[in-house]
Amino acid sequence: MTGDVTAPVGARQLEQLWRDCAPTVLAALTRRYGDFDTAEDALQEALLAAAQQWPAEGLPADPTAWLITVASRRLVDQWRSDHARAEREQLVTSRTPPAEFLAPAADSTIAADTVDSANAVDDSVALLLLCCHPALPRPAQVALTLRAIGGLSTAQIARAFLVPEPTMAQRISRAKAKLRQAGARFSAPPAHELPDRVAAVAQVLYLIFTEGHTSTAGASLYDVSLTDEAIRLTRQLHRHLPDAGEVSGLLALMLLTDARRAARISADGALVPLAEQDRALWDQARIREGVGLIEAALPAGPVGPYQLQAAISAVHAEAARAEDTDWAQIEALYRMLERLAPSPILTLNHAVAVAMLDGPAAGLRMLEPLLNDPRLRRFHRLYAVRAHLLELAGHGEQAQASYATAARLATSIPEQRYLNAAAARAPITR
Amino acid sequence: MKYVILIHSNPDPWGHPTSAYTAEGRAIPKERHEEMDRQFEALLTELSASGEFVTAEALGDPASSTIYAWSPEGSFATDGPYAEAKEQLAGFFLIDCQSRERAEEIAAQFAGPGSTVELRPAMWSGGEDQ
Repeated sequence: MTGDVTAPVGARQLEQLWRDCAPTVLAALTRRYGDFDTAEDALQEALLAAAQQWPAEGLPADPTAWLITVASRRLVDQWRSDHARAEREQLVTSRTPPAEFLAPAADSTIAADTVDSANAVDDSVALLLLCCHPALPRPAQVALTLRAIGGLSTAQIARAFLVPEPTMAQRISRAKAKLRQAGARFSAPPAHELPDRVAAVAQVLYLIFTEGHTSTAGASLYDVSLTDEAIRLTRQLHRHLPDAGEVSGLLALMLLTDARRAARISADGALVPLAEQDRALWDQARIREGVGLIEAALPAGPVGPYQLQAAISAVHAEAARAEDTDWAQIEALYRMLERLAPSPILTLNHAVAVAMLDGPAAGLRMLEPLLNDPRLRRFHRLYAVRAHLLELAGHGEQAQASYATAARLATSIPEQRYLNAAAARAPITR
Repeated sequence: MKYVILIHSNPDPWGHPTSAYTAEGRAIPKERHEEMDRQFEALLTELSASGEFVTAEALGDPASSTIYAWSPEGSFATDGPYAEAKEQLAGFFLIDCQSRERAEEIAAQFAGPGSTVELRPAMWSGGEDQ
């Protein structure tokens, strides 16, 4: 099998390819050997072998089958040292063509070009559901998803989340042990559980996305873009569940947010607020795709929070200049969102829309009760928004004081720098 | 979000766990210490399992520190500790949790006899373009 190779390809292309294959391989191994934990370890070793061999020896004709064979060998090697029954196992493995480990595909042939088949996507979703199992704490779900489905190494995940590698390794191994204890199975959950389980997957993917999106270090310093990874995995989920409105909404939200990537950091590394971004830098292809998704999902209903957030993002994206923003529509969407999932942070965002629509005084009135909300006691953005509205309303000195409070509470260096500068600026009095 | 839990204490002699070497700690019966150790062990196990524990270090005797000060002519070193500080930094924990509330809930459990615990958010390099 490894003899039939094509010309060598670029390292990036290779990594993309094996990561596309990884969920299929892991699903095949788990189905075949019944043990997600050891199958996942074997896959990591097979990926390591691929990283060494493929660039040197060229791409195997069937990368998925290659990975299954190599990973199976690792599993069997392990059993040989672990158990007396290893020989019997090896016999079975060596006589079974790798393709038979896979669930039968519609056309019964497994090749690199069928990795995207409905079957492979099925496997990805089953794996996603397993990695986001309710028995696991959120950080463990995130780490396991990136490793098992994203095919990222522990070191890559640790770097992306700025934690030491041993911490991440422990997070992952504990997660796998916990799955085993919980008796989590690699199979579709009962239909009545599916919506909640898919919602948990969506939350994990959204968390991965925001981690990548809000970290300025993200794309440039590290070899992994969590943003790209989250979009890739959400695409897979959407392909499998095209009628799940919230999955479409989530994908649209990610695409529309990511479309602003090039505009949100200035040349000197400072954060650029939405209103001040150079909209020519927005990625129009991403915007078109996001708007298309949300326009298709909204009328189908029921409408959920991701769809509404995506819709708000779409309204922003469709304004050629900040002053062209359709604030009436945004305000209405925030009202719907607040009815669906009320939270003080949502009220804060809603107040901005109200201020843009009815003037700063109306926005400030909405903020008033939030100042006494203990949940926002240390939330810098409440004071930053209030400062901005006070400034617009002509209360320069109060605005300065509020900017200073916001700066003290900020825990992000670019935001703190921005707010300190705003506090230091001479008050504009009208 | 990442938070550091700073343990300020003044054990004499300097030692870890600091609660065994502070005057307040020595005044507490052995059984109570054992109970507190068990509780703390349980907390650390919980933080590891939840993925919230990032790292921790116990620090050496402040007498072993070197203080560097800057001057226009260049930096100069003196032997520590800071004379004016009554309580020294004895160690720190770095945790990574979902919310400030959760971090406060965790940090509250780090308070021990003769030590003061300080919770501070770690600054990060990102931000949101809202």
